[in-house]
Amino acid sequence: MSDHPTIPPEDDDMLAAEVALGLTEGDERAAARTRMLQDRSFARRVADWQERFAPMAEDIAPVSPPKGARKALMSRLFPARRVPLMQRLWVWQGISFAALATVAFLALPLLQDPGEQAPDDVYAARMVAEDSALELLAVMDMARGDIALRRVSGTAPEGRVLELWAILPDRAPISLGVLPEGDVNRVALPADLAPEAAQITLAITDEPPGGAPGGVPTGAVMAAGAVAEL
Amino acid sequence: MNSDRDEIERLIAQVAMGDRAAFEALYDRVSAKLFGVSLRVLETRAAAEDAMQDTFVKIWNNADRYQANGLSPMTWLITIARNTAIDRLRARRKGQQDIDTPGLELAAPGPSPEQSAVASSEAAKLTGCLDQLEADRGAAVRGAYLDGDSYADLAARFNVPLNTMRTWLRRGLLSLRECMSL
Repeated sequence: MSDHPTIPPEDDDMLAAEVALGLTEGDERAAARTRMLQDRSFARRVADWQERFAPMAEDIAPVSPPKGARKALMSRLFPARRVPLMQRLWVWQGISFAALATVAFLALPLLQDPGEQAPDDVYAARMVAEDSALELLAVMDMARGDIALRRVSGTAPEGRVLELWAILPDRAPISLGVLPEGDVNRVALPADLAPEAAQITLAITDEPPGGAPGGVPTGAVMAAGAVAEL
Repeated sequence: MNSDRDEIERLIAQVAMGDRAAFEALYDRVSAKLFGVSLRVLETRAAAEDAMQDTFVKIWNNADRYQANGLSPMTWLITIARNTAIDRLRARRKGQQDIDTPGLELAAPGPSPEQSAVASSEAAKLTGCLDQLEADRGAAVRGAYLDGDSYADLAARFNVPLNTMRTWLRRGLLSLRECMSL
């Protein structure tokens, strides 16, 4: 008997059954799989056999899978980063359409962060004040421990500088430093503020060159905004 | 039974659109069945759990191809579970990693009208037809489907040359097809 029996075409259906059962191996199996992709009527035959064989599984009693299985599967398919940052920015309320684009721009470095580590804790704030043209957007990235700021409009009054503050309930304003010139800045967020990040209100005052003397704000609040978690 | 089928079909269609909630609902609905199938093939819970997880990953990734393959929803799900478990079983036997053969062996021939056979009566029919086969042939078909026996395995088990095994089993499959078409 030959090792390679020739298979007449009318035996296609038998070949289909063998594929459905997985009886063939090696090259023959690979050839059959390729054929399934190219030959619809052959694929149909295989599907018909799968339909014929599947009832064998009908008799198999259902067994509750281990408890952790569901969670393991979901976290494999949908890894920790719950919602992409971009999407969080979109749903963030209280921000205008145009402003959104600038926040997205601001957040770009976050989005491009290498690796998979999710920007889990990200807060954003839109800082404005009445009687002031100054408007800034801030994105606080807890993973990096910094605040990205983008100036949308307004400038410091002549001869003054802008100083950024973190305001927390029951605490004196904490200076985060004088903002350098330029529309986009990054300033470090002191690590000890991290636990209370969600409650921070960011504020900007105008101060004499060099910043508020004694670390206490002296000028007017030109823009402020509470952070919101994205 | 039919509403069950419709419901599973609807869930698969939603999963195809990337609907996570539908995927979780589908899991809750069919995981026990698919775990049962994996466990029947692989015999240990740990291996069966791994296989079931792979199965659901394939379901998630390929749900959009379900409509085109013309299988009833439970057959589609069971076939993926069965094939995934069998692949694992074989890899284990061979001691090699041949697990991730992509493609579900479920190509897309397009739906066929004679699809809507009611599953449970089909099960009874298949069982009846398998029982009508000569005992060994019925056992060989079952062994191939549920234990992942290849022709080589079956030839060894029945102690016949491989080609004899093949001729012999093909006759069985032919009778099976005739019996089931009655």
